[in-house]
Order: sequence, then structure tokens, then C-alpha cells
Amino acid sequence: MKKLVIVLGFISAILAVILAVTPLSKIAYIPGVMALIIGILAMYLTKEKQNSKKSIQLIFLLTIIALTLTTYKTIFNTVEVGDTEELQEKENESQEEAIEELEGLEIDEADFE
Amino acid sequence: MFNTTLLNKTKHMRHFLLLISLLVTTITSAQNTSIGTNEKLTFSASYNMSGLLTELAEVTMETSEVKTSTSTLLKLKCTAVTYSKWDSFFKIRDLYESYVSPKSLTPYLYKRDIYEGGYEKFMQYKFKHKTKTVESIKRKKRRDGTTWEEKKKLTIGSSTKDIVTTIYTIRNLDIYKASLGDSQVFKIIFDNEEYLINIKYLNKETINTNIGKKECYKLAISINNSTVLKGSNDNLLWLTADANKIPVYAKFKIPVGNGELKIKSATGLKN
Repeated sequence: MKKLVIVLGFISAILAVILAVTPLSKIAYIPGVMALIIGILAMYLTKEKQNSKKSIQLIFLLTIIALTLTTYKTIFNTVEVGDTEELQEKENESQEEAIEELEGLEIDEADFE
Repeated sequence: MFNTTLLNKTKHMRHFLLLISLLVTTITSAQNTSIGTNEKLTFSASYNMSGLLTELAEVTMETSEVKTSTSTLLKLKCTAVTYSKWDSFFKIRDLYESYVSPKSLTPYLYKRDIYEGGYEKFMQYKFKHKTKTVESIKRKKRRDGTTWEEKKKLTIGSSTKDIVTTIYTIRNLDIYKASLGDSQVFKIIFDNEEYLINIKYLNKETINTNIGKKECYKLAISINNSTVLKGSNDNLLWLTADANKIPVYAKFKIPVGNGELKIKSATGLKN
């Protein structure tokens, strides 16, 4: 039972760290909170028997790193659009080509009265 | 005897009147009343998983006038650009264009040029309304950098439009005339195939948006022969209940969580 809890705790803690690094960082809160709960549960389980607590401490450490990183990112990262020069060029080219294409097309005059 | 013929006549007359009134309503709804010539709408697309909102991309919808030697057309342009934090993971630079008649929103030329995380594709449709055909060009990039092209001539229905024009056509519907639960079917051509899109008017709802508190028409969208959008009333679109009918909010159901489109700004409105 204790082993299973610790393994689950590790999985969610590692998942939280991985997600925290990606731009999808906000989702890291889900495994982060899960890892915290499992960590507390594991601590409660080990209290009864005198066992080493190293692995549980590691779970907490990973979770705290993940949650701090995520919180930092949520507060300080502003959303902005990257370079759009290429797209702008593409748009201009596209319009020029389109006008050429449209010259050759039969356009129903009734639409423009 | 005389009475029955009179009765028949009035019956015919009634049918005739009904037909005329139907024709008139279709004609009036075909006029563009909601889309301005220099309109710009900016949206933020995000992914929502149990309340944790992650912003993915900026979506814009712009209109402008385009002049050829013989006529003036309306250019409808939609772009999708990922936010810079996503660019190194999955960069999107999508461009959708449609050149339509400014009065009736009939499409003449449709272009789609997309770049999605290394995947590039170009599509072009030239609409020939007299023969009800579309000349399509598909261009794709191979892994080794070379491109291949495919030209096709397709037969379409008389009311089939491209996806961009359809979005604007939905905005141009006379929704105030519709009653709750009414639905309308649109035919669109996408990836050289025709799809049926069903738009259902659910109800009126007042929602908070970045451009203020707005009373909106809530519409449900479903695609008949496709698996892109799931659920029956899970893909929703909110259009402001005024003459401009700006799309202010949209919600799409995807297997894990849901996608959202929220308006950020709207300029150059017609009314």
C-alpha cells in the first residue's frame, strides 16, 4: 500500500514538473495538487511505521518546484504574438496573386448593382 | 360549382402569395447588412481544462475592399497566429482568405495557406457560379522540401460556399426574425469535399465580454458528415443581438476539455 502511494506520488510529481516546463504550464496544477495530497497521505502512512522518509521528501521537493514554476509563469508571462512579418508578407503576396486571378474570373454583375 | 372554383382560385392565390413572401424574405436576407468594409475583430483562442485556461493563439477576422479593373470586391481574411511562448513547440501561421461580392457575399475566390507545426498546405477555390463548378488547386509540401500540386474541377451545389464566407453569412442572417429552436443548413466546401453545417438558434443570453456586457444570440453548430465537432449542443457561438452580430464568444468541445474563442477588440463596425 505504502509503495503504491509513493509510486503514484512520484508519477504525479514528475508529470507536474514536465507540464510546468511546457507552455501548457497551468495544467501542471492538476498533478501538482494531486502529488501534494498523495505526499501527505504517504507521510501519514509512514508515521505509523518507522521507515525512511527520503522518497516522500523528494515528492514534496519536485511538487514544490513544479508549483512555484507554474505560479511564476502564470503571473509574469504575458501573452503576445510572436513575429508575424512572414505572415504579413504572405498576405500581401496572396492579395496580389488573388487580384490577378480575379481579373480572369467571370463576376456576376448583378451582384454589384 | 361556381363556389368551388372560387374556392380553388383563392387557394391558389394564397399559395402564390406565400411563395412571393418567401421569395422576398430570401432576397432581403441575401443583402449584406452587418459586415463593414474595414472591420477588424481580434480574438484569443484558448484551451480550457477544468477551469485552467491556457491561451494558445490570436485569431483575427478582417475585411477590406479589393479593386480589380472591373469591380470592387470585399476581402474576408482570417488569420491564426500562436502566441510566442508556443512558437518553439508548435508554431501556427494560418491564413484564410475569401474574395466575395460586397452586396450578396457570394464567394469568387477562396485561398487557404496554412503552416501548422511544420505542416504546410495551400488550397485555392475559384468559384464559377454559372456552371456550378469550382476549380481547386491543392499544394502541399513534402518532407524533403519539394512541393506537389493537384488541380481538380469539382461540381458543387448552387448554395455551396467556402468556410470563411459561411462564417460571415451566418452573421448576416436575420436572426431577429427566427424563433427559438429554428435551424438552418449551410453547404460548405472544405478540402475538396462538401459538408453540411447545421446552425440552430437556441436562445438569447447576456454575457460579459471584453467589449462590454452584450445581449447575444446563442447558436449551436453541428457538422453532419464529419467527426471534427462532437456532441449536439456542445459547439456554441454567441453573436451580439444587434445589427452588427459580432461573434463575441465561441466554445468547442474536444475530447479532453474544451476550446474557447473570446473577443478582445472590435473596430470598424458597420452599424
